[in-house]
Amino acid sequence: MRKKHKATDEDVELNLTAMLDMAFQILAFFILTFRPPKAEGQIALRMPPPMPIAGVAGGANPGDQDTKDPLKDFKTLLIIVTATDAGDIRQLYVGKPPDQQEVATDPALKIFGTKLASLLNDPASPLDQGVIQVGSKLRYSELMRLIDVCTRQTVGGDPKTRLSKLSLVDENG
Amino acid sequence: MSGNVGGSNEDKPNLVPVLDMVFQLITFFMLVINFQMNSIDKSMDLPVVGSARPVKSGKSFMMINLNDKGQFTVFSRPLPEEQIPGWIAREAQVNRLAIRKSNPNFADTDDLPTVVIVRADKNTPFSTLAKIIKICQENGFRDFAFHARQPDA
Repeated sequence: MRKKHKATDEDVELNLTAMLDMAFQILAFFILTFRPPKAEGQIALRMPPPMPIAGVAGGANPGDQDTKDPLKDFKTLLIIVTATDAGDIRQLYVGKPPDQQEVATDPALKIFGTKLASLLNDPASPLDQGVIQVGSKLRYSELMRLIDVCTRQTVGGDPKTRLSKLSLVDENG
Repeated sequence: MSGNVGGSNEDKPNLVPVLDMVFQLITFFMLVINFQMNSIDKSMDLPVVGSARPVKSGKSFMMINLNDKGQFTVFSRPLPEEQIPGWIAREAQVNRLAIRKSNPNFADTDDLPTVVIVRADKNTPFSTLAKIIKICQENGFRDFAFHARQPDA
């Protein structure tokens, strides 16, 4: 007769090694795919497509001339910036056509900013949007300096209203 | 006299706290991982602009990366120039389909609320950027965000 084998008390142990190994695999995956984002800022602009409009001639009604100037009625400010071959700002013109004036360019564009502020806050001639006609070779960094100055300006004397409607047009159309 | 009776006396390390710490780390990385960051081309040098505001998340966006050679890159790979209009048109269509899930009346001619994030190297010529902006505008994009580095404090 067989003797029944008494079941001995054995501790049930959970083997964690395999689970730990799998956890380390997953951790390694997430560490390798983790990319901390760099601190970047942005300048937000609303840019509808520039529409070909009728030009303005000496106070006449819009529609008298057909031009390719991307202006719309009398409330648009035109900024023309030409570029050197190296991509720097060569010349700057600002104003409502046909009264655009050349503005001296300084490294911080302070003169441009002052001129822009006086135009945008002139109660006799309200402006609410701007068009920048840009030289093809102008570097992005120079363009951003220009946009930076434009978007800092208040419009109509209201400190809460900034120039945010800006269209960018290539000088070559 | 007390003493160990029989059996080996192996000291096994307690793996439970180690496993717990590993799971904590996994949870941390799972919460902070963002696969959308892979669409950012980090090789380019953005210009420094003082009035650049912190990036607001939440809105749907389309990333445009232009390197210093004027190449349009997608996930850090240059895209041939002839494929750019098609790529942007496809992105616009994807955005429209997503909007139509909540707004079935959204028409093809309606302006897209998607923000076009423009990340260009500081030496990128404007002519390249102008072409891309024009294609985006033709496909219904109206809101643009020009990215720049904030000046060091």
